Amino acid sequence: MLKNRRLLALLGALMLFAAACGGSDTTTETGSGDTEETSEETAEAETEEEAPVSAEGDCSADDFLCVGLVSDVGKIDDKSFNQSAWEGVQGSVADQFDFIETQDSNDYGTNIQTFIDQDYDVIVTVGFAIGEATVEAANANPDVLFIGVDQFQGAEIANLAGLIFPEDQAGFLAGALAGLMTESNTIAAVLGTDLVPPVVAFQQGYENGARYTNPDVDVISTFHPGGLDVAFTDPAWGADTARQAIDSGADVIFGAGGLTGNGALGEIAKEDGAAFCIGVDSDQWETVPEARPCLITSAMKLITPGVQDLIAGAQSGDFTGGNVVGAVGLADYHDFSSVIPQEVQDEIAALTPLVLSGEVATDGS
Amino acid sequence: MASPTNTKRLIPWFAAALVLAAIVAAWSWKSGDTEAVLGRTVRAAAPLILGGLCGLIGERSGIVNIGIEGQMLISAFAGFMASSYTAGMGTLASLVIGILAGMIAAALTGTFMGWCAISLKMDQIIAGTVVNIFAAGFTSYAFIQGRTQPTYPQWSVPVLADLPIVGKVFSQGPLTYVAFVVVIIVQFALFRSRWGLRTRAVGEHPSAADTVGIDVLRLRYVNMTIAGSLAGIAGMLLLQSASVFNRGMTNGIGFIALAVMLFGRYRPFGVLLGGLVLGFFNGLQAQLQFRQAFDIPPQFFGMIPFVFTIAVLAFAGVSARPPAAAGVPYEKE
Repeated sequence: MLKNRRLLALLGALMLFAAACGGSDTTTETGSGDTEETSEETAEAETEEEAPVSAEGDCSADDFLCVGLVSDVGKIDDKSFNQSAWEGVQGSVADQFDFIETQDSNDYGTNIQTFIDQDYDVIVTVGFAIGEATVEAANANPDVLFIGVDQFQGAEIANLAGLIFPEDQAGFLAGALAGLMTESNTIAAVLGTDLVPPVVAFQQGYENGARYTNPDVDVISTFHPGGLDVAFTDPAWGADTARQAIDSGADVIFGAGGLTGNGALGEIAKEDGAAFCIGVDSDQWETVPEARPCLITSAMKLITPGVQDLIAGAQSGDFTGGNVVGAVGLADYHDFSSVIPQEVQDEIAALTPLVLSGEVATDGS
Repeated sequence: MASPTNTKRLIPWFAAALVLAAIVAAWSWKSGDTEAVLGRTVRAAAPLILGGLCGLIGERSGIVNIGIEGQMLISAFAGFMASSYTAGMGTLASLVIGILAGMIAAALTGTFMGWCAISLKMDQIIAGTVVNIFAAGFTSYAFIQGRTQPTYPQWSVPVLADLPIVGKVFSQGPLTYVAFVVVIIVQFALFRSRWGLRTRAVGEHPSAADTVGIDVLRLRYVNMTIAGSLAGIAGMLLLQSASVFNRGMTNGIGFIALAVMLFGRYRPFGVLLGGLVLGFFNGLQAQLQFRQAFDIPPQFFGMIPFVFTIAVLAFAGVSARPPAAAGVPYEKE
């Protein structure tokens, strides 16, 4: 229902009103309202979390780096994908930074333009879906540097770096672990949407990885049947689907799809150790504490350092367009390091460099 | 010789027998999958049924409610926040407080819509839209990311949960069972109790009801509040699944509930059937994907419930006559 711009204005008004009534520690959604107010608000929120504080300055000055982030329709605090990118911006060398949470996929261009109009030096756009709008903006504004997270660049544009990840490798390692950990020989994946190639890469890597370590394994995967606007923000669907997967005999389940996947993790956690779950994008042990009873690891895309490095490159003038491949890997086992048998841990440890170097192909060949 | 009326009466029984036979056949073919789908059917049906009942009670008493989506969202938000802040009191207490908070918040929203429709005589579609927009905006703003609440337990009914075929149906979160109890209660209350008779009178012919001494406005207020609390349980059902609140987490279920109400022809048992049918498609689409039965995009399966609803409304829904006074503010003459 947030598709109405007038509503956004109303929201903004309500937000300012409530902010005036005394502190709130939510980060705000910009998109309307004036920037000064919102960056103050952002700064306030960050102080409470002890995160780096955005300075206020003149973005058109050469020695003052302003970085803006435009999210996909997912949320900036989705505890996985968008959040990792935002943390990368916050932890970077940028002097001033701000974000815009996209509410409607029609607003991608407008939101990017908002930062361009404020003379921002670097604009980070997050997600596959916003890729097209980013290419357009990069072509129209050769002086502004763009970083497109998860955006594969078909043709190289000098001021646009596409930060991409070999999700198939991360998924492969997760699948390899799942294949070794399953007792029922059925594992599952509850996924965002197949409209987003990285999600499909995760899924295929996962299935092939599982078959690599356990040729007899049965992999049951589901994609959210909705469109891009709901596929990553439907935890109830994720939870119900995870339950159905458990009912179908799965005992290791990979939840990959923003909040939808997080919903799946939360549901599996109710099994209290009877079924394992695997998170995605960031180490979800930290970001989804309710999943801890089942979370054996996460298939990580190291988005945060990837974004940081690219922004550092922009600062030092060492910025190249085209595709930049970030790092992936499995997260720490945390409390499950005592549950996962040592020989399984050894096998994964031995497999990891082979997969990451490409020696073991993730396409199942 | 059976009269035409009698033959017509047998149709639902034939249909039920066919469905039963299909389930048994499917089960003997793929037992695990069939059980999993049936479990999902019931789980996915519950919020649709309660949302549908919320719309039904409103419409039966003369008020069109399209704000169910907003009511569910507000309920899930209030319930989550209440549970989250009382998490220290223990799981059970915290969950009960959350459920009550969700029901009360949605009930008050129902009262508010009642006020718009009954006292202000506002256009009821607009009142519902206002609630939907407010709910989306307010809960987005006021939600604090990072909070958690205790998770709902999974209750297996002894003996029944171990049965073949229907075992998974009896392994659900506690609120799911509530939904099925509520639909039976509403069915009997609506057609067998004084409250039900009065409600239907107020929805069909409020001035006649008024002349026999029924306080039309008061009953409408009461019913909107009761209906709101049911939408509240529907919202809490989403929370029962998701364990955490999320902005816009209703994802249109409140609107599909309206379709379920139409499908059920304004009868609680019809709503029950409609909810189960849509729930079944939910389960079916996931299971078909699990087994990669067909190489069809998942979005196609996602579409099935909606196409089904349209088809049913187009062919069977013709005879679904809404209560005569639905949508019309009552004014004393």
